[in-house]
Amino acid sequence: MSVNEVEQKWEPKILVFACNWCTYAGADLAGLGRLQYPPNARILRVPCSGRVNPQFIIKAFQRGVDGVLVAGCHPGDCHYTTGNYFTRRRFLLMRRLMEYMGMEPERLQNRWISGSEGPKVQQVITEITEEIRALGPNRKLRDDQWNN
Amino acid sequence: MEQLTLQIRNMAKEILKKGDAKVIIGWEKGNFWYVSTPAFIDKPEDAERLIWDEYCTNNLAKYLMGYKDLEGKVAIFVKGCDARGVNRLVQDKQINREKVLLIGLSCPGMKDEKKAQELGENAEIPLSKKCEECRYPDPVTFDLFIGEKKSQKKVKDSKDFSQVKEIEGMTPDEKYNKSAANYEKCLRCYACRNVCPACNCKDCIFDHSSKGWLGKANTVSDNMFFAMTRALHVAGRCIDCGECERVCPVNIPIMLMNNKMMQDINNLFGEYEAGLDPEDKLPLGSFEYSDPEEFM
Repeated sequence: MSVNEVEQKWEPKILVFACNWCTYAGADLAGLGRLQYPPNARILRVPCSGRVNPQFIIKAFQRGVDGVLVAGCHPGDCHYTTGNYFTRRRFLLMRRLMEYMGMEPERLQNRWISGSEGPKVQQVITEITEEIRALGPNRKLRDDQWNN
Repeated sequence: MEQLTLQIRNMAKEILKKGDAKVIIGWEKGNFWYVSTPAFIDKPEDAERLIWDEYCTNNLAKYLMGYKDLEGKVAIFVKGCDARGVNRLVQDKQINREKVLLIGLSCPGMKDEKKAQELGENAEIPLSKKCEECRYPDPVTFDLFIGEKKSQKKVKDSKDFSQVKEIEGMTPDEKYNKSAANYEKCLRCYACRNVCPACNCKDCIFDHSSKGWLGKANTVSDNMFFAMTRALHVAGRCIDCGECERVCPVNIPIMLMNNKMMQDINNLFGEYEAGLDPEDKLPLGSFEYSDPEEFM
């Protein structure tokens, strides 16, 4: 198998941290509405976007993910009242740090998606998949023992 | 400074005799003329070991963690950065401010021990890197004070972030190559963590290799995982004492990351300087409804 062949087969892997109360419900709604979005996104349900520890994201990049989306309730809508405000502060910083270390800013994204925004789930995941496809596979921060 | 050394010894003797404190943490002369190491004095006659010179670089605040369960007080000599370190520990509820006796010293800026070793005793020794940028040579909090309260050192009005700006101007690949080159050297000896007054978790995730966060193998990827995680853990809590960089055996510019975090916190959430007021809310432990909104 030549190197070029592998390149052609490459599909972006996108990890989506979806908050249980809004984004996950939104993705559910997208499914109910039969809205198609690229199968590149792997959705991981978390109780609140505030649960997403920056370590999770660095680890994901180490193990071969090409892009990460952290999505939760709109500010003011958090099931736990204030969880997403902390998320907002944390990821404002985290994004800047990732950029500073040399990651392309497109690879770590955050969105607010509520439970009624099924079409937005479709749109966001499609957009991000295209952006990351254009960037190509991520080699930065990658741990060589998980080279795949 | 000899004058101050004598005053320090007398005061230490008095404190121990009166029983105001059980232990005194200060500095003593190390094995070389360019090294002054932390000293832990618990008998009045040992107070003669204490000194105050241009090489008392160590930030003593972290050593208070070892005396958390001591019955009675601990006295500690503090420069500007040590005092901020103590504030840091008080703010994190690691120590009780009532149980420490702070003896303030105005810091003239410490000399670089690595350069001193190279240049020899007779040469002009430059200031240590962490002291060049220092903006608080006088302790921000103390109970007793020795010597003049005003440091002779010139202090800048605001922190200089030009090195951070320089990196921000690079392309992503350049940035990555630069940081990978830095962290390729990292031995993960955790000296930076051990010395840091902001790294005061009882249980550190990096001590648990079996949990799978960080393997035992030394790879650039894992080293950067360590570096980024630590930068985020101390973000908003770093007191800018520069000890991490000083103790790094392979000279990684660790403060580049911490400075970046400081700069961004100032820009995003308003000016904040850690370790000045132990009652303050931490930038990442609080929020405002009016925080900048980027995630639409």
